[in-house]
Amino acid sequence: MSRLGILLRNHTWLVPLLLLAIAVGVNVYLQDNFFMQRVLNGNLRVMLPLMILAVGQAIVILAGGIDLSVGAMVSLVNTVFVTLISADSGGLELAGAMLVGVGVGALAGAVNGLCVAVLRLQPIVTTYATSFIFAGLALAILPRPGGSVPRDLTRFYRDYILEVPVAAYGIALLIILWLLLRRTRFGHHLYAVGGNDEAARASGVRVGLVRFGSYVATGVFSALAAIALTMSIGSGNARIGDDMTLSSIVAVVLGGTRLAGGRGGAIGAVIGVAILSIIRNIISFAGIPSWYQTLVDALIILAALAGPGLVYLIRRQRNDGN
Amino acid sequence: MTRLVASNVSKQYGAVRALTDGNIEIEGGRVTALLGANGSGKSTLGKIITGLVRPDSGELTLDGERVTIRSPKDARRLGITAVYQELSLVPHMSVAHNIWLGQEPMRRGGIDQKEMRERSGELLELFSASFSTRVTPTMRVSDLTPGERQIIEILKAMAWRPRILILDEATASLDGRQVERLFELVAQWREEGMGLAFVSHRMEEIARVADRAVVLRNGDTVGEVDVATTSEAQLVQMMTGGATAPHTTRQRAASGEKLLEVEGLSSGRVRDINLSVAPGELVGIGGLQGQGQASLLLALFGAEPYRGTIRIAGKRVNLSTPRRAMREGVAYVPGDRGAEGLLPVRSILENLQLPSWHRYGLLLRQGKAQADAMRAVDELNIKIGDIEDPVRTLSGGNAQKVVIGKWLLRKPRVLLLNDPTKGIDVGAKAEFYALLERLRDAGTAILFNSSDDEELLALCQKVIVLQDGQLRAVLEGEALTHENLVAASMGTAANGSAGRSADSGGRP
Repeated sequence: MSRLGILLRNHTWLVPLLLLAIAVGVNVYLQDNFFMQRVLNGNLRVMLPLMILAVGQAIVILAGGIDLSVGAMVSLVNTVFVTLISADSGGLELAGAMLVGVGVGALAGAVNGLCVAVLRLQPIVTTYATSFIFAGLALAILPRPGGSVPRDLTRFYRDYILEVPVAAYGIALLIILWLLLRRTRFGHHLYAVGGNDEAARASGVRVGLVRFGSYVATGVFSALAAIALTMSIGSGNARIGDDMTLSSIVAVVLGGTRLAGGRGGAIGAVIGVAILSIIRNIISFAGIPSWYQTLVDALIILAALAGPGLVYLIRRQRNDGN
Repeated sequence: MTRLVASNVSKQYGAVRALTDGNIEIEGGRVTALLGANGSGKSTLGKIITGLVRPDSGELTLDGERVTIRSPKDARRLGITAVYQELSLVPHMSVAHNIWLGQEPMRRGGIDQKEMRERSGELLELFSASFSTRVTPTMRVSDLTPGERQIIEILKAMAWRPRILILDEATASLDGRQVERLFELVAQWREEGMGLAFVSHRMEEIARVADRAVVLRNGDTVGEVDVATTSEAQLVQMMTGGATAPHTTRQRAASGEKLLEVEGLSSGRVRDINLSVAPGELVGIGGLQGQGQASLLLALFGAEPYRGTIRIAGKRVNLSTPRRAMREGVAYVPGDRGAEGLLPVRSILENLQLPSWHRYGLLLRQGKAQADAMRAVDELNIKIGDIEDPVRTLSGGNAQKVVIGKWLLRKPRVLLLNDPTKGIDVGAKAEFYALLERLRDAGTAILFNSSDDEELLALCQKVIVLQDGQLRAVLEGEALTHENLVAASMGTAANGSAGRSADSGGRP
């Protein structure tokens, strides 16, 4: 295998990064003020919640699972968070509410983990089912969109520190968090369990615990995504996360992680979200009807799934010719 | 000095006694070979020692103290490690990550990548001279050759610093240089006081590295001998339990014409196989398990890509898919009924007719299909409640008859059987043999792989023996004895003759 091939395979986020560069190029061509501080901040603010969510999704997919309830978890934590605070909550109250929100996310993730790792239910069906439970709870907590968030909180989220948007710090923090996780034994065993669970078991890895942990981690990241989203939007809505599940999966796939697990990483997923958002920008600036967005999402998944298979087919045909 | 003793260990799977009385002593500073023919219980005994299988009775003592080993993890904690055959590698992870999986060196809460790489490098150094290209700790396991992967398995076991090391067919995918290096290391580890158990299908290797040999036969330990003072023929005799008369009751030799002819076939695990089967002939495939028998049959069924020439009834055929093979009249009965043979939740009728629906028109004539299926059920004496019951309600023997039945409905010319009687009770086996004989007498060419040597000897006119994916011997007539079969499986000759050797007469 060539050096380039090895480089690309060991850093699965390099190809997505190239795609991102191309997308940014097209976007800049259509929208010449793209690099203005204000525009950049606007884009990053929209991306951050989905990026956090996609990192969570990447974790569970790396371990060989999938979580279709992440959107519902975002809705649930959003309603819990908004209900606990009011327009004039103080810092302590906000911190408390965030902590409760993260706890709820972890708990929801633990329910998924219990079903998949202990009861050994199918991840797709299980998390699809639990997504209705979480969405139902969210509706029960906040039947009508509403609630308010302290002005200072939303203002902070839009603000700049040293001329750099707060959302950019959020993204940096997210990547650091992932890199730290990647260094732990748990982060390591995610790859082993997703890559070959039999082998992991034979090597003394507690496979069930790693699977369970991957769902809990996804729950926590969903809660963090919900908090960021609440800061961005400034209110509560029990259906706020509905569209985010599919987007998170598309972003993970787009970021070079294989859906079967064991390969890829969360940095790719972060880049995947950026690509998705920019494609959405392009669609709107190019005057294409917005319902094409769903079509584009679907095509991206198809292309990403078919890509490796096509490469394999081409390679095999070439070998047969020899 | 370390000393692991297993005494009177037994294990039963359902109705099958895999091990009745297993005994072995693995002592520090010694290499003990574990020898036995197929079904002798040697692999069960090995798995019990390493915690992969829990025994029904018997005891294990380590340095005089009784121990319970529930999992590979328990075994490792006691200093007992086995080299698995590619069972424990994660292909997408690096060499270093694989070697240290489950015991990663930690530093300040995180994994110490540098330490892991360095220590992997030191371990790789042990084999560095025997790699054809450099293997580094950061390379991916999926990029390595099978031999290199096997070495990673060995190094992984060494990373646990075992006192007792079980090498189960550890040389199977190594090349000559790598085997040499492993043997040097084995000698060195033995000097250092490690206790080694060595399982191999190559008699020559056992003669080279082992000090003692424990021989098992039919689940019993038949003896322990000093390898240096015991001849290979004596070992074979211990494995088979003495001379057996050649079976002469088998059917007459078939006529000269050939129905299935294979020339220079290579596929997956097998290399350069030549064989032919006449109509009305039942040819056995013997040898220890996992020597390429399945690969050979799957290639003939179009389920594995192959190179070489296959002729059926004199016509050259290209069996690139099972569908094509079926069209040529080839049928395949798998050993793993669950995975390859049956749709367990679907009905007996659907299972029987799955390969044959094309005969029942566009809108399937259910009535006729059912009548044909019922006839097959009667003919094969399959005990069923209702033909619409799901197959999983059947016993193993009856389920296997359904697998055969579904091919009989197609009236195959060539029948390939891959260890079909595994896990079937004695009564069902007898019926099954009778059925095979009926098919043979009706002119079907049958190629029959079995891990049960007795079965091969009782049923087949001719047995080909595979070892390491190569055809080692063709045994027929007087030469078809259990001793010759076991000797050929181990790559040695019993009493100076292993039948007609593949090199001299096996090739056309």
